Amino acid sequence: MRSVRITAFLLAGAGLHGCVTATVQEVTTGDSIVVLGRRSQPTASETELDFISCVADNMSRGQNALNVVSEQRFLDATFPWFEPRIAPLNHTELPTIIKQAPLAERLDEMGLKYLVWIEGSTQRIDSGGSLSCVVGPGGGGCFGFLSWENDSAYEASVWDVETGQAAGKISSEATGMSYMPAVIVPIPLIARVRSSACTSLANQLKSFVVN
Amino acid sequence: MSERFAKCALIVTLASAAFGCAGAKVAVPTGFPVPQVAKVPLPVGLYLDEALLSYVHRESLEQRGDWEIELGSAQRPMFDTLLSGLFIGHRSVNQLGASHDDIAGVLAPSIEELQLAIPEQTRSEYYEVWIRYRFELHANDGEKLGQWDLTAYGKAHQQNHAGASAALQSAALVACRDAMAFFTQQFGKVPVVRTWLDSELGGPA
Repeated sequence: MRSVRITAFLLAGAGLHGCVTATVQEVTTGDSIVVLGRRSQPTASETELDFISCVADNMSRGQNALNVVSEQRFLDATFPWFEPRIAPLNHTELPTIIKQAPLAERLDEMGLKYLVWIEGSTQRIDSGGSLSCVVGPGGGGCFGFLSWENDSAYEASVWDVETGQAAGKISSEATGMSYMPAVIVPIPLIARVRSSACTSLANQLKSFVVN
Repeated sequence: MSERFAKCALIVTLASAAFGCAGAKVAVPTGFPVPQVAKVPLPVGLYLDEALLSYVHRESLEQRGDWEIELGSAQRPMFDTLLSGLFIGHRSVNQLGASHDDIAGVLAPSIEELQLAIPEQTRSEYYEVWIRYRFELHANDGEKLGQWDLTAYGKAHQQNHAGASAALQSAALVACRDAMAFFTQQFGKVPVVRTWLDSELGGPA
């Protein structure tokens, strides 16, 4: 397997940017990858489940599609080693865990090459305007204008399962303003901030491991 | 008149949903993963009493409705799966205190306490469940060797689930998985278990 060193900075569209620093090995046929969300402690901003599955779906489709193991299948197959209470917080803990005989067999069966931890979330950082709705026996309607700004910030840590080393980190950020004018019927104009961050992160992760 | 009543009922229903005061009634799913660990080379017995197998937690929260978690039906599959991963063999026993020649000891879990919290209570975005299990270990001659408690925790972010029921069910399931994970990790470190394992496996006195 050929070692490749990549250092790249990507700017992808207005309001969407990311940065990559990587030391990776190419993924070969039969190798797989898993994308996991960090759920170790109660935090105000746990990574959304649908963001994790969005990144995994995007990595398993299109050009250079990867063999992505679903998060739930991985957690069940490796139980309890990646449950919130026990999951390794640092890549240095990985070699000890993957030496456990039954776990090592499960990882071999999956052909797992890389483990990707995703942290971050999408937050509403600003909002304004007002909108009021009235419902009566004869009908109802809304009038007003709302706007809000969402900010997505995610970071993916890539661990090499074979070597137990940290392969690198990738970040993805996106911001966007959404609007909802209402004259009788509200018309939401939603900025797909999280979706943009997901696509960006998945594409970066793909090029990260595939070259 | 009936149309007006229907509209009022609809408004009340929507308001209840919007303010989340309806509560939820959930049962924990019965599918659990097998622990991937080296098995203890001993066969054990498992005693589950009726109180555990029919365990239901009910709680009324002021202005937040009635909440119910049915845990009992998940206990047998949970502990069968847990012990199938931890020991080379296990079987159910019908009573504690009896003598058994074919097993090295009997494990008897019970639920001492369950607590739940909803986002409106904690001003967080999580549904949370705590379960305090108590485990008794009996020797194969029926003698009680000791007991220990284990507190499991599960949480579910409300944004990840469609409604309170789904989130509460997820938090309860995560708590059950946490109990299994914590038990798997800590079992051999509990003093009474350590002593029992040493005596059965011929380890240090």
